[in-house]
Amino acid sequence: MSVISYLKSLTQRFLRRAKIDNELEEELGEHIRLHADRLERDGLSRAEAERRARLEFGSTERFKEECREELGGNLLDLVIQDVRFSLRTLRKSPAFFAVAVLTLALGIGATVAAFSVVNAVLLRSFGFSEPQRLLWIYSQRADNPRTNFSLPEYCDYRDQNTSFEGLGAVASFNPSLSDSGEPERVQGVRISANAFTILGLRPLIGRPLIADDDKNGADPVVLLSYGVWARRYAKNPDVIGRSVNVNGESRQIVGVLPSSFALPNLDTDIVVPLQPESDPRRNARNSVNFLRMIGRLKPHVTAEQAHAELDSIRQNLHRQYLDTYTGKIGLTIVPVTEEIVTNVRSILLTIFCAAGAVLLVGCINLAGISLSRAGARQRELAVRTALGATRMRLIRLLLVESAILAVLGGALGLILESLGQGMLLRLVPTDLPRIDSFAVDWKVFLFASAVTVLATFVCGLAPAWLLSRSDLRDALVSSGRASAGGGIQSRLRTWLVAGQIALALVLLANAGLLFRSFARLSGEQPGFESTNVLTVRISLPQVGYNDRESMVQFYEKIRPRLEAIPGMQNAGLVSILPLAPKSISFIHFTRPDQPPSKPENTPSTNYRIVTPDYFRAMGIPLIAGRYFTDEDDGDRLPVAIVSSALAKNHFPDRSPIGQRVMIDDNDTGPRPVEIVGVIGPVKQTNLETPAKADLYLPLRQAHKDGVPFLRNSIYCVAKIDPKAAGIGYNVAQLRSAIRNVDPSVAVGNVRPMNEVLAAALASRRFSLLLVGSFAGAALFLAAAGLYAVISYGIQQRTREIGVRLALGATRGRILGMIFKEGAILLVTGVTAGLAIGLLLARFVASQMYGITEHDPFSFAIVSLLLATISLIACWVASRRSLNVDPVVALRCE
Amino acid sequence: MSDEAELLPGTLDLLILKAVSLGPLHGYGVLLRIQQISKETLFIEQGALYPALFRLVRQGLLKTEWDRSENNRRAKYYELTAKGRKRLREETDWWNRLSKAIATALAASPQEVTSDM
Repeated sequence: MSVISYLKSLTQRFLRRAKIDNELEEELGEHIRLHADRLERDGLSRAEAERRARLEFGSTERFKEECREELGGNLLDLVIQDVRFSLRTLRKSPAFFAVAVLTLALGIGATVAAFSVVNAVLLRSFGFSEPQRLLWIYSQRADNPRTNFSLPEYCDYRDQNTSFEGLGAVASFNPSLSDSGEPERVQGVRISANAFTILGLRPLIGRPLIADDDKNGADPVVLLSYGVWARRYAKNPDVIGRSVNVNGESRQIVGVLPSSFALPNLDTDIVVPLQPESDPRRNARNSVNFLRMIGRLKPHVTAEQAHAELDSIRQNLHRQYLDTYTGKIGLTIVPVTEEIVTNVRSILLTIFCAAGAVLLVGCINLAGISLSRAGARQRELAVRTALGATRMRLIRLLLVESAILAVLGGALGLILESLGQGMLLRLVPTDLPRIDSFAVDWKVFLFASAVTVLATFVCGLAPAWLLSRSDLRDALVSSGRASAGGGIQSRLRTWLVAGQIALALVLLANAGLLFRSFARLSGEQPGFESTNVLTVRISLPQVGYNDRESMVQFYEKIRPRLEAIPGMQNAGLVSILPLAPKSISFIHFTRPDQPPSKPENTPSTNYRIVTPDYFRAMGIPLIAGRYFTDEDDGDRLPVAIVSSALAKNHFPDRSPIGQRVMIDDNDTGPRPVEIVGVIGPVKQTNLETPAKADLYLPLRQAHKDGVPFLRNSIYCVAKIDPKAAGIGYNVAQLRSAIRNVDPSVAVGNVRPMNEVLAAALASRRFSLLLVGSFAGAALFLAAAGLYAVISYGIQQRTREIGVRLALGATRGRILGMIFKEGAILLVTGVTAGLAIGLLLARFVASQMYGITEHDPFSFAIVSLLLATISLIACWVASRRSLNVDPVVALRCE
Repeated sequence: MSDEAELLPGTLDLLILKAVSLGPLHGYGVLLRIQQISKETLFIEQGALYPALFRLVRQGLLKTEWDRSENNRRAKYYELTAKGRKRLREETDWWNRLSKAIATALAASPQEVTSDM
């Protein structure tokens, strides 16, 4: 049925209703008038006759309602009646109404918000066809299961395998992008053109990469991500066919990628063809490792079979090219979509479950309140039963009541969610994949509706169930207060509150574990001073920066400008900033006097190119030897500085100063460097993993094979005393100092090192903040639930308390009695919560740092916190019993 | 719910059908006719008549038409349908059998019972 005809039938139905109501009014009115006429004829005055006629007729409203019901038959009208009735009831208790709607709105809003993030990141389609057949392939080394392949290696796997429909290769590519405006650093990939077919990926607009794009001498092309297209080109479809400057090279934009697109551990701002066949490294066996592979399994081939085949190819290559593939001990093969979300899944699901738990605790609270209300309303409901309402009808009425609350709460929740979305997006850590196009789609909407329906049943079912059990006629006979069903009802409430306490404890324990991990991790020393250090990522164009000398000259030109900035203390360059996401660079090295027993035992180390002042700018301490100087240039003996971790692991027997190591940092084979200094260890990739071996080389001695990588991305680090000119001014000066030297250089955003450090904790801070606030909300709701059940219990037992007081019980005893009941409830809830919490803890094990997921301290502290807050709630509630006056209490019937 | 409450609406329906079978009536007319034919022995709550009338209309036993009342005001008249006439016959038969059976049962004397037991 079309929307219009549906609306039409709906309007007709309402018009018909209006007509029926008018006619009913007229018909019953006429009856009363006719009766009055008759009474008047019998000798009554007109006024008296009309009064008597109305009286004898009975309640017109009630009979009208019954007539409508007879007519009704259609569910809509019945539901409308129930809704109208429920609204009337709810209007009579505005406090309950407001509390209920707000609780549900916050609960549903939080759950829906968490779901919309889960949806955007985890659930949404990736735009790949049959993603379960897509595999992501790394080269495996003893110390790192996820490393890169060299180009000749990739080509061998691609040409020799029979398991895949196609095997593509991807490399990270961080060029500068410019057209008319300022050049911008973007983080993209170079990808073999066959990857589009392999992924089954269609661009949003334009065309994908095709085989011709990979050919030698093909026209240079580029595809843009949805994000870049939206940010830089305001989603203008006319960009197709336009030319942009990528690293100084003009490329034609041929397509825009869909917003759902992502690749594992790679940013995809732009995509350019890899052109493997025309690459100078095509046949350089010893060339640099920079590729990851992606493959689509043939139908009926399993991932295990493919793994076995690739591994046998790898072993053949090792036999064929001895010494070339040292350290590569296998392959790491994982499903592509898994690999994209694997790091964030546990965090997101934790947050989502926490939000759901808060909603559940909130619903249980409302169910508890509804139960009490049902108890208080039992008399009213009994009267309705006596007047002919069926039990089904009453249950429906209670469900309709909670449905009204849930729908209003859900609608308000959705509004809150959309208002809070901006805030949420600011909180969301930027390394969450696919989050930038996070939106409310039909799935979120469907989810919100489902949650609303669920909330309806959770809130309404308990009272309805109670009604279906209790004998309502007893309620009529007895006085409403000490009513039948009270026993079941209060027992049910007690269980509900114990459940709430248990749930709240599980959430609190989770928050406690996250907090302890966070605290441990924040206390870790990263190995550098982050205060008053500004960093900026730059990338140089290809034109004019072809060799090491041109880069050194560039550095010489910016140096005096940097030094001229007021408050500047030290400034240097580094190839990769510590804790910079997704950047990996490491090499193999050997001690000439200790050749590795087997090629795969060749040690590896993080590899950084720096200028001399980098260490001073970052406050990395010198432990032995010396820092680099400007004299360490191409004419001198190649030198290196190593971290104390490398010194300790590989030179346990002697001081490494003056020792030589062979480093494998170029396409032609290992070369010797002399160690001249030992510095402190630095956490390079993240705060979680302990600092590994680091090896630094001076920029003036960097190998020419590394120049393209350095040119793509190098960081300028400056230690500045902000008192001299203010940090904001310094940021602007830093940018302009670099840009004034060469406007074709792409300068990224200036970020204080503090911020980089904070970003390394961002996802933990995010989940801690959310889970923490959810736990707080659950704690509050559980305490409120406990308070309510105890006050209600006292109210129910006013008479009993009165009797006890009259018989001589002290108030202290009464207080103790009530308090004990609360305590039993609390102990039950806490015990259950601890059991569940310890059981569920393994799901957050991957988020722990420095503690186990069963950390007794966290569990003990949160139990104590929950117990304290609950006992306070209990105490405040039970004090009400002190105000009972035995005389009043005994008369209260 | 008590048995009495269950039974009463059915009886009221039958009385309404009977009243209307004697000629189209508006609601108040139905009330007067029932009182008249029952010789004023049955008490009917006036308003309760209408839900019953609506029910009979919905079951297709009565049909309605708006017309002038004796005071020249608009009133809704109820009339028996063919289906209503058939139902009235069946219900009357059933009622007669039932009341006869109950009357016989209630008139039983001690002598009639002892012989069989």
